[in-house]
Amino acid sequence: MMRFLVSADIHLGSPIQSVALRNPDLGDRLKRASRDTFAEIIDLAISEHVDALVLAGDIFDNDHPDLKSRAFLIAQLSRVSEAGVPAVLIRGNHDALLDHRAHGDLGPNIHLLHKGAPTVEIGDVAFHGLSFDAAHVAQSFLPDYPQPVPGKRNVGLMHTSLGGAPGHDPYAPCAERDLMAHGFDLWCLGHIHAPFERVDEPVLAVMPGIPQPRHFGERKGGTVTLVSLGEGTPEFERRAIGHLGFSECALDLSACSDQQEVLRSLRDALLSAQVPGRDMAVRLLVTSDRHGTDLVADLATEVLDSIDGVFLDKVRSTPPPRKLGAETDDLVRLMHDELVEDGFRQAAMQQLEELRLALPSEITDELDEDGLDVLLEEAIAEVSLTLHAGAAK
Amino acid sequence: MRLNRLDLIRYGRFKEAEIAFPKHDDGTPDVTVIFGPNEAGKSTAFHGFLELLFGFKSGAHPYAFRFDRSDLLVGAELDLPGRGATILRRNSKRSQSLLDANDRPVNEAILSGALHGVMRSAYEERFSLDEKGLREGGERIAAAQGDLGQLLHAGLSGMTGMAQTLEALEERADKFHKKRGRGTVLKTGSDRLKEIGRELRADRLTTERERTLRRDRDGAAVAFDAANAELRQTHQRQAAAKAALVWYDRTEDIRQLTGALTNLPDGPDLPTGAAERVAGLVEKIAALRIRITEVDEEIAKQDQIVADNPIDMLTQPLAAELERLDQLTIDGAPLMGRATTARADLARRIEDQEKLTSQINAALALLLVPDAPASAVALEPHALEDLASAIQDCLTANLSADAAQEAFETARAQQGDAPAEPQDLTALRAAFDVWQAVADLSALETEQDQALARLTKATASLPGSWKELIDAGLPARETLEEVARDWAALTAERGSARKDLDARAAELAEARADLSSLEAAPGAVDIVMTEETRRLRDMAWSSHRNDLSIETADQFEARMYADDAARAHYLTGSEARQRLLAAQGQKRTAEVRHDTAKTRHDDLVTHRDQLWERCSRLSLALGLGENAAPSAFGARLQALNAAGEAAANLSNAQVSLAARLTRQQNARNALADAGRPLGLYLDQGDLPVQVQRILTLEDSDRKAWTRWEDGETAIAKLESKSELCRSICEEAQSGLDRLTATLPLPDRSLEGIRIALPHLRSLQQVHADRQKLAARIEDLKQAIAALTEGSQRLARIMDDPEEEARADPVQVIDRTRARVLTATRADEKRAEAETRRDDADRAKRRVDADLRTAQQDLAVCFEGQSGADLTPRDRVGKLVERDHLRADKATADRDRQKTRDGVEADLFAEELDRMPDAARAAELEQALKDAQDTRDTARDAQREAERLYRAAFEAADRSDLATEQATLREELRRGARQSAVARLGVLAARGALRRLAAERRSSMLRDVEEAFVTMTTPAWTGVDVWSQAEGEKLVGIQPDGSTVPVEQMSTGTMGQLYFALRLAGYRSFARDPGPLPMILDDIMETFDDTRARAALQLCAEIGANGQAILFTHHAHLVELARDCIKGVAVVDMPE
Repeated sequence: MMRFLVSADIHLGSPIQSVALRNPDLGDRLKRASRDTFAEIIDLAISEHVDALVLAGDIFDNDHPDLKSRAFLIAQLSRVSEAGVPAVLIRGNHDALLDHRAHGDLGPNIHLLHKGAPTVEIGDVAFHGLSFDAAHVAQSFLPDYPQPVPGKRNVGLMHTSLGGAPGHDPYAPCAERDLMAHGFDLWCLGHIHAPFERVDEPVLAVMPGIPQPRHFGERKGGTVTLVSLGEGTPEFERRAIGHLGFSECALDLSACSDQQEVLRSLRDALLSAQVPGRDMAVRLLVTSDRHGTDLVADLATEVLDSIDGVFLDKVRSTPPPRKLGAETDDLVRLMHDELVEDGFRQAAMQQLEELRLALPSEITDELDEDGLDVLLEEAIAEVSLTLHAGAAK
Repeated sequence: MRLNRLDLIRYGRFKEAEIAFPKHDDGTPDVTVIFGPNEAGKSTAFHGFLELLFGFKSGAHPYAFRFDRSDLLVGAELDLPGRGATILRRNSKRSQSLLDANDRPVNEAILSGALHGVMRSAYEERFSLDEKGLREGGERIAAAQGDLGQLLHAGLSGMTGMAQTLEALEERADKFHKKRGRGTVLKTGSDRLKEIGRELRADRLTTERERTLRRDRDGAAVAFDAANAELRQTHQRQAAAKAALVWYDRTEDIRQLTGALTNLPDGPDLPTGAAERVAGLVEKIAALRIRITEVDEEIAKQDQIVADNPIDMLTQPLAAELERLDQLTIDGAPLMGRATTARADLARRIEDQEKLTSQINAALALLLVPDAPASAVALEPHALEDLASAIQDCLTANLSADAAQEAFETARAQQGDAPAEPQDLTALRAAFDVWQAVADLSALETEQDQALARLTKATASLPGSWKELIDAGLPARETLEEVARDWAALTAERGSARKDLDARAAELAEARADLSSLEAAPGAVDIVMTEETRRLRDMAWSSHRNDLSIETADQFEARMYADDAARAHYLTGSEARQRLLAAQGQKRTAEVRHDTAKTRHDDLVTHRDQLWERCSRLSLALGLGENAAPSAFGARLQALNAAGEAAANLSNAQVSLAARLTRQQNARNALADAGRPLGLYLDQGDLPVQVQRILTLEDSDRKAWTRWEDGETAIAKLESKSELCRSICEEAQSGLDRLTATLPLPDRSLEGIRIALPHLRSLQQVHADRQKLAARIEDLKQAIAALTEGSQRLARIMDDPEEEARADPVQVIDRTRARVLTATRADEKRAEAETRRDDADRAKRRVDADLRTAQQDLAVCFEGQSGADLTPRDRVGKLVERDHLRADKATADRDRQKTRDGVEADLFAEELDRMPDAARAAELEQALKDAQDTRDTARDAQREAERLYRAAFEAADRSDLATEQATLREELRRGARQSAVARLGVLAARGALRRLAAERRSSMLRDVEEAFVTMTTPAWTGVDVWSQAEGEKLVGIQPDGSTVPVEQMSTGTMGQLYFALRLAGYRSFARDPGPLPMILDDIMETFDDTRARAALQLCAEIGANGQAILFTHHAHLVELARDCIKGVAVVDMPE
């Protein structure tokens, strides 16, 4: 029986993207989140006495190309190597810094698998992996993978988008069926940040997920996988890791009779988001007939002052759905009527374009023209909520 | 919708209260004035009405102070469109809170349909108005600057904050981004992002930057190696030049040294330290010669001192005699010290002796024994003290004996007669304690009475057989609760199943009817039917061919037409057949559902019957009838249990009382037995009272007896003490007698002795002093005689005349003492001089020996050396100079050889050939400095390059900047979205308001003008609309035709305009989709009577279109309403 700690998509140096980090304490704690989490992975490998640490690509992040991260990686891998745990890794589409031809080897007992050295044997296990240099690879890597070594347990490392995953660029696509039929006992995969496992007995494929989620879209991450390779199908165990988690919290405030009730509901909802030993960034989706986004954000911030470990990522407040046949709130109806007017859409596009031009280029996608209809619905809701909030005062 | 009656069943302070809203059907306006003072509950009533319509809000309830929130209940009779008068109730449950008159849940759709989809907040905003809302509404619509759309919207919705809302949204958008805005969030954030980007780019160690740094580092290392090699070469050349210069110089030195040595004495090199040794010996010899001269002078000086101090031969006998005299003493001190004063002292002492003799004689006279010798009367001090002590003892003993006798006699006189001795009451007290513990029966009697009352109360509602029921055993509470729960659930489930069965039966009937109607339709013909009609037609044809009769022809014709019709219908009836099939399917489904519902219903009925049987058994066990509801089981079981418990309590109380009575009788008998020895009997009255009296007095009797016994003991002690004092007195007198037996005093009684005691003390003191003085006088006389004798002896030794010695012995002694002292001092000086002369002789012999030794050592130092003609100092100087020159020559040779070590031979030869060259050293020094500078520069550059390379890797991680960058981007994303939402919201709202103005201006403006003029006449005559570039604006028209923009109207006028807008809005809503009750809460509080009257007329307008409910606490407004509004209903708030 051999045990491995499998991880991927570390994205060293890539920061957490959340308004929650405006909190000075949290911001300070999490400014090195990717590095701290990787150090935590190394600690786990040492404390669990695994037989190998397996990293299936995207250890670095192309948006943050810094050789200091490589120096950090080498220091950490040396630490695990000195503890008697060999490391096996491949490059992903973000790993230009792992180019051994440009930067040399990583150190003793650290095995970077690539076309020139696609296999390394550790004990009774043969690890196979390929590293490609391009950031975009349209074809499958699988045909280039070595055949299983007879008499050994065979473990494959691959960075792949498999059949495709929402939010992830296609990279070395590969049909799951082909992968499982290649003859290896275990596949350690990377690229998709949400963790999952596939079992096609006796083969196991593990996508360990991103260890430290960087934004709300990666909220399923925060995991690594411990795999036990013995007789039969390999067994796996997910372990939570990382310092910040993301969660979504839906809350209906329309039945609240007063401000105290609103605060109480917010407090209950935010308390339910607490996770022991981990900070949480919460996205609040509120339904209310008189609490606009800004107001809810202010109230939630006030409530969070007395709740440890929970921070506000984003707030969105929407009014409850209108009843069928409702005759009231002419303004909302008239605003909806206004939306379909050509002149109005033109004016709206013009306003959007003006704002978009003023934005830093990296965030202009927030006001993409394709999202105009959603923005207009939010706009109508915001007017209605603000107006009703003013009336309530 | 109309509110006919509001039922405040359990709500706020109200219980079972109702407010009726009567309506006249005579065409008068539907206006109800609710009159009540402040705090009468008008707000409570309005709140209750809203909760009836929309349900209770969650959280703590403001009106749940008299009743718990869960018990709150409001109701109303409402006129609902299409339903007529409907009674509804609302409780505080989260679901199914809307109930009918029988408290059965009803569908919320009944109300929401009548409310036309209006939600609670909208109802509050749109169909209620109070004075504050009216006042603030007027102020807030001023911000609309007369914008027609905003004003009409305010009238329709009741919300007046549109201008503020749009302004707030624009402000929010501007705060994030505004054209040419400098301090906007976006500008600040973008600038910071650029700054962070620059810092990150500068900090980031990219591959290219690393490559550049590595190249710089390697290049600097090569440059350093080259500079270092050049520096080494320059060093070597400089070393060769220095060696050549040294060689050249030392060779010249050797030549000059060789010449100098030829003028100096020859001989071997002096040993180390030879020069110092010679100089030392020369100095030593000179010093020894000086010392010999000094010793000779000292010997001559001491010889002269011996001659000047000869020996005195009489010194010894004189000194012995003086010593003998010094040994003589008087009064323990040397006699010589007092020799001068002894004679004068003797005369004074004799005089003192005579005075003391006179004092003794006086004392003897006072003691009345003038002729007695003093020694016979004067006692020794210790005898005198014994006598004084004995006198004092006698006096003290006499006083003590008198005091003890007096105390004894006083105590005897005070001790009275003895009281009666107390008896032992222990047994009586124990019996009385037992009696007291059981004497009081009232508590047990009360307890028995209470238990009996509780039992009576508990069994009041129970049948007579309750005891038998309890004895037979009651069912368990859990069983009853389970049965009641099952029964309630089963009843509800059966009701639901019944409804379901009815609905399914209706569905089945409907499905069957649909199927029948479809089957009856011509298009429902199927292929089987067409085959059948064809078969019938063929049969008719065959029959007709056989018969060819009219009848068969008609039959064939009919069959033929029927077949044609069937086929035609078949061809056109595919849709009808589909419907038929669907209907058949629906019928089958309905049948299955009906069967299922029926089976479920039947099962429930069976189950209910079984449960009912069980309930009947339990009911009988509880003493209820067979048909009692299970819900009554719990109460009956509780009542039976309470009755059982009360019966048990009563029985316990009776048993306790009986036991207490028995114990009381026993205690009484025991008390009588204990009292009998003391003379107490049951027949002498109330025995316990007598016993209690005796026990109460026992304590004081026993104390009086103890006190008398203590007095007797004390008297006995005083008597024995008096006797003891008397015997002590006698003993003291006998002791005194013993001490005075030998005294020759005429009165030796206690008093006589006490009076003589001071005189005896005085006599004893003076007598002792005279004895001491006599002894002293005798000593002085003997000392003077001894002194005179010694002086005569001294005179004889010195051959002086003895007369002088007798006349003045002290002078002779002093002179003798001076002669002895002078002789002693001469002996000391002579001895010291002889000692010193011996020392000088020994020193002279030692110095002579040292001088000879030094002269021999000096000769040894110059052995083998020439130059004997020179003085030792000059000779050794020359030899030392010679040895120095020899050493310098050897050193110069060694130096020039040594300087070639490590120097390249070629470079040395080159440099030696250039000698002498004075500028060569400077030239090479400059070359070396240049090479050193070049090497240092290269080294610094290499170190810097290395440092930069390392620093690039070791630089502090700027994760903080990257994190700030990411966070800032997220903030700008959020801000951008909110800004866009705000801008688009304002854009859409303004468009919507323009639409609203266009849609409603024709229908509402007329109403607004009419209402406004009614309220404000004659100050205002109308309203008008101005078209401006930014939209249409409302203005007021004054009687002179001038127009006033809305924002320039007074606050009061603005409030009335707002009221007019609200009235127009209500009228618009009442027209379509329909009226809802409008609640007005004292809105005319600040109006004068004229305007209040006008406003009331407008309320009547509301009542003409719908229902107006006016709350007020002003009686005069009630009267005004009665006066202005025909048929107005006035209702008082319920108590």
